[in-house]
Amino acid sequence: MERTLTNFIHALRSSDVRVSTAETLDAFNAVELVGYEDRGALKRSLALVLPKTADEKETFDLCFDQFFKFTDIRGDRDGGDAEEAANESSEDAADGQDGEGGAGGDNPPTRGTADATGKRKSKSKSKGKKAQTTAPEDADPEEEDLGPGKMSKPSSELAKLLMNDSKVELSIATAQAGEAVGVRDIQVFTQKGLYTRRIMEQMGLADLNREISDLRGSRRIPQRRLGQNLRQRREWLREQVRDYVERQFLLHADADGRRLREELLRKVKLSNVEQRNFRLIQDVVFKMAKRLAALHSRRKKVFKRGQLNLPRTLRHNMSYDGAIFDLHWKSVKIDRPKVFAICDVSGSVANYARFMLMFLYSLEEVMPKVRSFAFSSDLAEVTELFERNKIEDAIAKTLRDYAGGSTDYGQAFVDFKKHCLDDVDNRTTIIILGDARNNYGDPRTDILKEMYDRCKRLIWLNPEPRNSWYVGDAEMRKYTAYSHQVEECNSLMHLERIVGNLLKTVQ
Amino acid sequence: MADAAPDLQKITESVENLKTELEAHRYICSDQIATAVYLAYHLRKPILIEGPPGVGKTELAKTTADMFALPLIRLQCYEGLDEAKAIYEWKYGKQLLYTQVLKETLDEVLQGAKGFAESVSRLHEFGDIFFSEEFLEPRPLMKALQAEAGCILLIDEVDKSDHEFESLLLEMLSDYQLSIPEIGTLKAVNEPPLVFLTSNNTREISDALKRRCLHLYIPFPDLELEQRIIHARVPEIPPELRRQLVKFIHELRGLDLKKVPAISETIDWARTLLLLHTETLEPQLVRDTLNVILKFQEDIENVNSELTTLTSQALK
Repeated sequence: MERTLTNFIHALRSSDVRVSTAETLDAFNAVELVGYEDRGALKRSLALVLPKTADEKETFDLCFDQFFKFTDIRGDRDGGDAEEAANESSEDAADGQDGEGGAGGDNPPTRGTADATGKRKSKSKSKGKKAQTTAPEDADPEEEDLGPGKMSKPSSELAKLLMNDSKVELSIATAQAGEAVGVRDIQVFTQKGLYTRRIMEQMGLADLNREISDLRGSRRIPQRRLGQNLRQRREWLREQVRDYVERQFLLHADADGRRLREELLRKVKLSNVEQRNFRLIQDVVFKMAKRLAALHSRRKKVFKRGQLNLPRTLRHNMSYDGAIFDLHWKSVKIDRPKVFAICDVSGSVANYARFMLMFLYSLEEVMPKVRSFAFSSDLAEVTELFERNKIEDAIAKTLRDYAGGSTDYGQAFVDFKKHCLDDVDNRTTIIILGDARNNYGDPRTDILKEMYDRCKRLIWLNPEPRNSWYVGDAEMRKYTAYSHQVEECNSLMHLERIVGNLLKTVQ
Repeated sequence: MADAAPDLQKITESVENLKTELEAHRYICSDQIATAVYLAYHLRKPILIEGPPGVGKTELAKTTADMFALPLIRLQCYEGLDEAKAIYEWKYGKQLLYTQVLKETLDEVLQGAKGFAESVSRLHEFGDIFFSEEFLEPRPLMKALQAEAGCILLIDEVDKSDHEFESLLLEMLSDYQLSIPEIGTLKAVNEPPLVFLTSNNTREISDALKRRCLHLYIPFPDLELEQRIIHARVPEIPPELRRQLVKFIHELRGLDLKKVPAISETIDWARTLLLLHTETLEPQLVRDTLNVILKFQEDIENVNSELTTLTSQALK
């Protein structure tokens, strides 16, 4: 029982719901109160204790439905599934049997079935609810029709289990075999077949195969009948196990796999990100931004300024005999940083611009004043576009409207000066993202110098690796002179580090 | 309204009983909400309620107080709220006054004392009297702990307070106690209070706080539930009109608005329509009363242009 709940919490954790140990204990208390009988009540109670944000609640819903997949405690919805299983099994029964029947002969008898019975009792309550269908009763149409009638007794453990018609015991056995072969460690979907086979073997497939082939070779009708029946049931069992593995995969591996991919995406060069990964990378950006925001939103305040807090000052100075000695101030928030982001959106740099803008705008909570500009030759402000649209749409529009055309940094600086150089003050941080490849045009470093003099910091981010900065038409050498900081920036990790530093210095 | 002494045992026996009882107090709720109160009562855990404004977060605390016939102590959070306003404050005026009095009677106290050491020890007899509970002004959190028969503590809009304040709450929420350096630790007198925290999600509440609470998210109700809420709150309104107006509100929630109407707005609107003796929704009438449900001119203009279609859809 307890094992079920901890397994469920493990599954939740692997789908990114943060569950602490304390919350696990709460969950146990809640379950003790509510019990496992009513699935709805169980779900509602756990939903209060485990997930703690609206997002997490959604994940929780999915996870719960997958994990506690038991609508029939009393076994009502048998019909449909049983038939499906019967139909499918009849199709591939023939070829499946020949291969495995022969190999089954020299396999050793299974262990685990004996001690399985011992553990069974403790788990029966929860796992029992997972039981799904009975074995099909109808005879296989393609087989010789032996008709209903007497069947001989099955001999192997698994066969007995199958003929018992006990879904509960079968699914317990499945779960235990699953535990024994470590199905929870499943990593990628190609392993599904492997684990299905391992679980079947653990449950005693070899014995069963041998028995079936013996029985079918027999001349006595009751034994042949049993053999046929067992074969159908074996296929049905295979189906069940496959289902079980599938569920385990969704619960455990899918999330782990995603985390692996995310980890890779953080390091990959942004220009190499494929279109299909954009959604995932967006999630990564939001996650990183959220973490940065949480990290930095805590130190927005300074205390040594603002109005005198009279009551507090008096109170704290009572120990100095009322002499006003230790002053206390009403806290006042300092101005949040202003960030001007100037992005080269010409072909080569567009992807970097996309993700940097995404990053900056995801940080709204701690950096509410981002003004952004895009250029390839002419520069324009796109701040409003971002205010009115969702980030993804705004970025798409920006790229559509401003990308293309040959890069002209000189012209862009002239435009910037015309539009908003006056708004740059000593609290402003200017971030320029670009490869500084100016097609041998006039670099207009004079304007960059002006910007440099006016602003608090000017950061130049270059997506190219450092060793190609000074090659060809790149003007990096000239621009470096007028930047407070130049950085190579071509992966999400770089971005995170830079934006993190930015937040540290501007506050 | 609540009986003189509600049968707590019976009310809290099951989730269903709680739900019925809440409904008897005109708070129509989903199973999820009733379960939350049930768990909070039995596990003695605070509930952190989140959700869009106007779905009845604060109301739940009030109704629960009503239902259990317990006093409701409310702490409204805002930026800059500190321990002096939330937990306790020294009555420093009184302290100063008493110091003055003591100064004047100092001669009597010290009469006959030989030497400095004895004087000091006599003064020590006064002990830390200036820092005793006599001089303590309890604020909501402390009051909640001191309530004899237990109480409902509502910490409203906790997201509006500062991060530091959240940390202050932690001791209270996990152990139902408060530490005052000069006095020591104050524990709940009898029953620890039942704590409700509400948040509008203007910022993320810290994990530490969330971990100590049950987390209840109240979304907008579905059609049927909202109709029942209106029925409970504005019973005079005819069923047909009730159906129409709730449907209309649901249509509005589907639009892209700056602020979508919440349940409280639906109730207000129902009252307005009742006052105007309305029998069925008409575009002109809706246009005239739109400012009851929409609070931004921009939204009103947006909706105005589609009013006829929206109304006809609601009438279906």
